[in-house]
Amino acid sequence: MTLIGIAWRNIRQRLLTSILTALSLALGVALVVATLVTGGIVNKAFESGSGLGYNMIVGAKGSPLQLVLNSVYFISRPIENVSWAFYQEFLPAASRPDGVDGKYAASTATAVPICMGDYFRGHRVVGTNAAFFGRLRRGDGQPFVFAAGTNFSDDDFFGGILGAGVAANLGLKVGDAFAPTHGADDGAVHDPFKVVGILARTDTPIDRGVFVNMEGFYLQDGHAKPLSEGETAGPSVAAHPSGHIPLPYAQREVTAILLETASLPGLPAELTAMGLRTAINEGRDGQAALPVAEIRQLLDLFVRPLELLLLLVTALVVLVSTIGILVSMVGSSLERSRDVAVMRALGARRSQVLTTVLIEAVLLAVGGGLAGWLLGHLLVGAIGPLITTNAGVSASVFSASPAAEALLVPFLIILAIAAALLPAIAAYRTDVAKWLQGPG
Amino acid sequence: MPAPVIELRNVRKSFISPGGETVAVLDIDSFSVEPGEQCALEGQSGSGKSTLLNVVSGIMRPDSGSVFIDGRDIARVDEASRDRVRADCLGLVFQQFNLLPGFTAIENVLVAMSFGSSRPDRGRAASLLAAVGLGHRLDHKPAELSVGQQQRVAVARSLANRPRVVLADEPTASIDTAHQQQVIELLRETCRAEGAALLVVTHDRSVAEQFPRRIRLEDFNRAARSHDTQARPA
Repeated sequence: MTLIGIAWRNIRQRLLTSILTALSLALGVALVVATLVTGGIVNKAFESGSGLGYNMIVGAKGSPLQLVLNSVYFISRPIENVSWAFYQEFLPAASRPDGVDGKYAASTATAVPICMGDYFRGHRVVGTNAAFFGRLRRGDGQPFVFAAGTNFSDDDFFGGILGAGVAANLGLKVGDAFAPTHGADDGAVHDPFKVVGILARTDTPIDRGVFVNMEGFYLQDGHAKPLSEGETAGPSVAAHPSGHIPLPYAQREVTAILLETASLPGLPAELTAMGLRTAINEGRDGQAALPVAEIRQLLDLFVRPLELLLLLVTALVVLVSTIGILVSMVGSSLERSRDVAVMRALGARRSQVLTTVLIEAVLLAVGGGLAGWLLGHLLVGAIGPLITTNAGVSASVFSASPAAEALLVPFLIILAIAAALLPAIAAYRTDVAKWLQGPG
Repeated sequence: MPAPVIELRNVRKSFISPGGETVAVLDIDSFSVEPGEQCALEGQSGSGKSTLLNVVSGIMRPDSGSVFIDGRDIARVDEASRDRVRADCLGLVFQQFNLLPGFTAIENVLVAMSFGSSRPDRGRAASLLAAVGLGHRLDHKPAELSVGQQQRVAVARSLANRPRVVLADEPTASIDTAHQQQVIELLRETCRAEGAALLVVTHDRSVAEQFPRRIRLEDFNRAARSHDTQARPA
């Protein structure tokens, strides 16, 4: 019989205490694993938004972080809108009704407008144009892929595209109609749009978005900017062959413009972007935010410290649980002393009984740790659908934070050995003669 | 002539009493047990029987003198070496049996094997238990065995590592009179079968009378003769 075998039988002998000790450790470890994994998911959720094929977001003046959170992650509310004329400043002559390059056109490779404020059964509705899925990229830098249907065309005023998560949650398919509501889920119901495409999963916030043609979006009640006194609607927009009359430009606004900056002749792309950003921020029409920088700042200032705090709290739980091992072992020290004395009398060396006690603690810690690791992943798996729905990032029982999780077992072993050192030394010092003495 | 399996020469052992007084417990000029010999060591309570067993088994070191076990002086080696000698050369049977409660009968025998030099042998453990009449109780824990059966497990365990000598400390003290003779017979038979010498320490004359050699501790331990036994540690 090996020392591990002896330690295992000692654990079995105090089965209830051992199970309770391991269970308390398992709960602590489950919390740590869940925190680590969800922390990783949160980071992934934010970082996935930084590779969407645009490097700048232009919107109304206010908090740049709010602009990013709202435009990229569909979190928080829009700050305000910017004017259609301002949006036009990013377009080249060919895309403008007046045939003149916009003020920032030379620094802009792609400008995609988005309009927000509507919802469909809890999901954000984003009015945009066909360039969103035609020119921008999903998180991994690849073009968007449609699981069903296709991108809407700019001529299809009432075409809509669903993110993979939305389609899965709501059970909608290509050809189905859906009617967004104004301002909130219980707001006024707009005209129905028709699903023309369903995106393949991107593991980004796009998965939980509902995208509609902004021309149709503009035609809904409450979406036209009221004209101020004396203001005219401006040049009329020609009626569309479908019979719909587009909203006049003067009554249009956009919530944000997603920009892929170009490179000015002789200037590296980064300098062009910095120059454009400075120019926009110094103007009165809006602000430019760099999503990567904002998210990095958010992660560094808020998410990571919070994650660290959570980890610290859960690590304390593990520490307390480990102290449980100590308490359990000290609690059974009287019983153990007699057994140790018997083993010593049978020829066990002091080092062997010390090792047996340490092995017992390590077995409890590793057993509890593995159970906790499994429990932690099951926990993440259980709340996975909720995370996927809300963060647009897939979270399942297989989601992992491998680097941190790999440290758990050695960490637990060290803690267990530290906790068991006291009872192990007590076992080491057991007075055999005292425990086995008869009346002789 | 082969060397004695146990040989004590000029062994002295004393303790400090709670009052700070030095109390001699062992003062033995010479004592030995020959290979395969079976003898009973009689002594009244407090006569130093347990101390003698502790010294012979290497659990305690004498203050002076030599304790040879199978020709090796364990009074002059470190504790780990004494542990090794105890595991390989000695088998111990206790008055309270001292089985490990969380271990089955066969595991109690295997545990003893795991501290010896040879590898634990499940087959031998099973045959030892069969030899003491417990072949059908291998997987029973001590609590599931009768007192007599527990003592049989203790006897089997003492022989686990093919010891040169078995030391039994009051092996019948916890057993009713009707079964005492059976236990002594079992001990003597199994030790004979295994070729081990047997030294039984007892205060019970009827037990001692079953052995071919009977020694009174007071006869060769001067400390037992010269002190008030009430004051001595066990």
